[in-house]
Amino acid sequence: MALSFKVKAISRSRFLKNFLVSIIFFLSFFLIFFSKSEYFLVNKFKSISNNYLYPITSFFVAPVKVISYIQTELYEFRNLKFENNILKEEVIRLKKWQALAIHNNSENKVLKKLLNSTDSSLTLIKTASLISRNDFMFSKMININAGIKDGVLNDMAVVNYRGLVGRTIDTSIGNSRVLLLTDPNSSIAVKTISNSNYSLLQGSDDGIHLVSTFNKDEKLPRVGDLVITSGSAQVFPSNILVGKIVKVTKEIFYVLPFVDFKNIDYVQVVENK
Amino acid sequence: MFRQLLSSQIIIYHLILFLSFSLSVNYFVDLVFINYLSYVLFHLTLIYLVFYFLHFSIVPISFLYGIFFDIFLIDYISPHLICFLVFVFLFYYSKKYLLNFSAKTISYIMLGLTLLMFISEALLANIFFNYPINYQNLSWLLFTLLIVFFPSLFIFSKIDKL
Repeated sequence: MALSFKVKAISRSRFLKNFLVSIIFFLSFFLIFFSKSEYFLVNKFKSISNNYLYPITSFFVAPVKVISYIQTELYEFRNLKFENNILKEEVIRLKKWQALAIHNNSENKVLKKLLNSTDSSLTLIKTASLISRNDFMFSKMININAGIKDGVLNDMAVVNYRGLVGRTIDTSIGNSRVLLLTDPNSSIAVKTISNSNYSLLQGSDDGIHLVSTFNKDEKLPRVGDLVITSGSAQVFPSNILVGKIVKVTKEIFYVLPFVDFKNIDYVQVVENK
Repeated sequence: MFRQLLSSQIIIYHLILFLSFSLSVNYFVDLVFINYLSYVLFHLTLIYLVFYFLHFSIVPISFLYGIFFDIFLIDYISPHLICFLVFVFLFYYSKKYLLNFSAKTISYIMLGLTLLMFISEALLANIFFNYPINYQNLSWLLFTLLIVFFPSLFIFSKIDKL
């Protein structure tokens, strides 16, 4: 049970208190009002907090990070034999695909020469690694160790080997925050590969799937269709893999992203050529 | 004025606040219960500090923690800042009425306030920034709160006696 009640309030210097309360009220109002409108002073404040406070908090939670790392290692070690068998089977399957891919690649090169087309539309800005994650309670964000000094700016596309991860927000000199696709406030213009249904996607309530918020011509795709970026919103380059449609209802459809957001180590910041 | 600020108990409480804040804003995918635990502990410690060691310095401290929680967990400033400040000011101006309650009643008020803070933070994030209310997260927070509430009060009372 709690101790019996005793307030040790000190009431000295009334003027100073009132002055401080007024300043705090004014600052709160300023920050709340301008935070939503992304005013540059608030953005600067966010960048500074990210740059200086994060390393301090990371230092204090280092022992927990070590425990988490050991736990992951132990889990992987226990599953080593099982994983080895799966990998052996996968190697056999991939060898067959590799032969086919080499054949297709050489054919593609010849066809591109014939059509005089340009190559990949993406330019790699920087490959960065994950510093910390912020997708615990509300938003879905990660911090990466690439910033303005590496040429990373706000609203650049972030990908990994599986597909689209998100876009950069709050870039500072050495770090950037990435708003993941699964965040309810992220919006992506996409199209399906099979029949080019154009839609807008945003993070769903479960934090795992993406849900459509707008479908062009009210056409709905089918379950199993692959979804790629359409490039029409000018934020994400076109033709980056996003995910696979797993559920279609009367008005909306759900997409399971290809990227495993719980296991992100390295990402690449890219932009249109 | 500063003697109270520098007493050993207050320093310990502020260390707990900072550690639980650090743990809350760094997400551990494989040890998510640590995030829930630290998030609950932060709110509990702040409420306990306000109830038993009320000092004006708690206002700017709540202000700063509110801002940093919002920046790190939501990227927009509002829900935590509003909740912390409203709670601190409400208590500051209503403490004379709370003086009459017994220790047991105050414990239950603290439990209710912590829960109310979780719900209002989620509600504000939903209203201002379109973040859906995650009932699973709220249930985990409630579950963690019920488990750690009385043990934390016990530890806090031990710290008080230092």
